[in-house]
Amino acid sequence: MAHKVQPAIISCGFCEHASKRSDVNMAELVNEAVEDCIKKANIDWKDIDAVINGNMPAFEGANMPELWMGDHMAAKNKPMLRVTTGGTTGGSVTIAGYYSVASGLYDMVLAIGFEQQSCGDTTVGLASVGLGEFTIFSDLGYTIERMRSNMGGGAAIGIASYQAMNYMRRSRATEEDLARVVVQNRRNAAKNWWTHLKMPSITIEDVLDTPYISYPLRFGMVCPASDGACAMLITTEEKAKQIADIPVYINGVASYSNESAILGIDCAGAGQVDPCEQLGAMKSAEVAYGQAGISFPNKEIDYAEVYSPFPNQELMWVERVGLFEENKAPEAYQNGVTALNGELPVNCSGGVNSTNAIGASAMERPAEAALQIMGKAGNQVPKTVHTALGHGWGGSINLITHVVMSDEPQRKWR
Amino acid sequence: MPLPAYIKKDYKRTRTLHGNWYLMNYKYKFNLSRTKVFLKGLKEGHILGLKCRSCNTVSFPPRLICGRCLVMPDQWVRLPETGTIATGSASYDTNDKNRERPLPVIAVRQDGADTVWLHNMPKDIDFHSIYIGMPVKAVWAKERTGSWFDIDHYDAIEDPAIELNKKEQEK
Ligand SMILES: [Zn+2]
Repeated sequence: MAHKVQPAIISCGFCEHASKRSDVNMAELVNEAVEDCIKKANIDWKDIDAVINGNMPAFEGANMPELWMGDHMAAKNKPMLRVTTGGTTGGSVTIAGYYSVASGLYDMVLAIGFEQQSCGDTTVGLASVGLGEFTIFSDLGYTIERMRSNMGGGAAIGIASYQAMNYMRRSRATEEDLARVVVQNRRNAAKNWWTHLKMPSITIEDVLDTPYISYPLRFGMVCPASDGACAMLITTEEKAKQIADIPVYINGVASYSNESAILGIDCAGAGQVDPCEQLGAMKSAEVAYGQAGISFPNKEIDYAEVYSPFPNQELMWVERVGLFEENKAPEAYQNGVTALNGELPVNCSGGVNSTNAIGASAMERPAEAALQIMGKAGNQVPKTVHTALGHGWGGSINLITHVVMSDEPQRKWR
Repeated sequence: MPLPAYIKKDYKRTRTLHGNWYLMNYKYKFNLSRTKVFLKGLKEGHILGLKCRSCNTVSFPPRLICGRCLVMPDQWVRLPETGTIATGSASYDTNDKNRERPLPVIAVRQDGADTVWLHNMPKDIDFHSIYIGMPVKAVWAKERTGSWFDIDHYDAIEDPAIELNKKEQEK
């Protein structure tokens, strides 16, 4: 797949994330990230040809936010597309931006992901996802109370605890291994300016000291709920060379859907018997690497940002996307391979485990990976990063997005 | 303590108003042809799986369509009462004061079936003792009404491969 136009990221903007950004409303929050992005690219907002935005619908009690914040998104008189795919919203918005530029339709696209969770009730948003599933449960005579307790309180943690159980069984990872991932993430987050949970002196014991929230996951291992936004400018190769010192070329994108773990189709049970198998992640990684001409991801990728609200997922994803051999990730974390100065740094931004503004999270992954290539990240790795990966997970716990980027355009021989 | 950088000087410029919305009314339409036979079977004390004639995949609970072959499975098969645990967790119910003993939640793969589905084990079982691959047996409810919970819970049965499983776990 050779494109006619080679898309490139020239700038990424963030606003500061916190559990309650009570000093701004949603439109102003988005505007902070947009302004940061446009200012860093040193362009005028009139140069932007189209705007793509997305967040988790109804999490803030506002369903069509573009009616409110069009001007704040620099979208006046411009084509506007809204993409919402739950947790992968940011990743899907990035991919939509890539498509818009790669197709030759637009030269400069602004992609925005945001979430101000403190404004609304997350349960209302989740109800729109969950109600269909609740109802089909009762079709089998499954009561709502029973369902709620059996889904581990519902939403993502219910699934993550099952994934953790199976991952720990497969790889013999211990709770200490999980806590180690949390410690690495939160210490990294302390060095990054926009993150939410900054804990520079957290230890493994601190994490293991907290109570179980859903066995085997503890309270200290779980991601926070943040307010925040992320913006990204995607443009053509020619324009990128004029504007940016180091343009980051998007060389491969893929989005696949797993079967919803545990629930399955029609709530008739999962065909994917092992929740940590993750065929969708493996498939999307394979396709995205194929587009980017990467044959040995564990050697060719210099930096990875994976979507891991829960620490067991970070271990699971880095294996499933081919960065480590199966069941070898806990050992790599123990040996510091994934640390800031390691051979293959992972989630040096602090990851989703430290900051989770849902609609923005999956965009912050490719954005941070791009910044690492540009050398402008908040917590910059000391080595030179040539090729990086941004991964996303979400939807009804099924969708996977993959963005592979590099400081070189897609290989011409393809 | 210094204020976080994001707190602006004009901190008080935003105003918060509360909105309430207790309005929820939906219509979901389901095809009952799969559950009718299945639930009737449970009422009579049979565990039924639905088999796809094309690929021999047995789904329990039944699926309306086989995604692998895009055909409607229509062959009902009797399954034994035994199964194995595919994955599990523990549920801490907020309404329950007794947080010491959370409810063990398990996904059971019924013997002879290819899909898994959620059920519970009795509360007096320590959830730490649950392991993947553990054999379990369905325990019927005293009064069967034709619902999923005609199977009251699953109970652990003797594991002939217990030594092997323990070794697996410790490795
Ligand atoms: Zn079939």
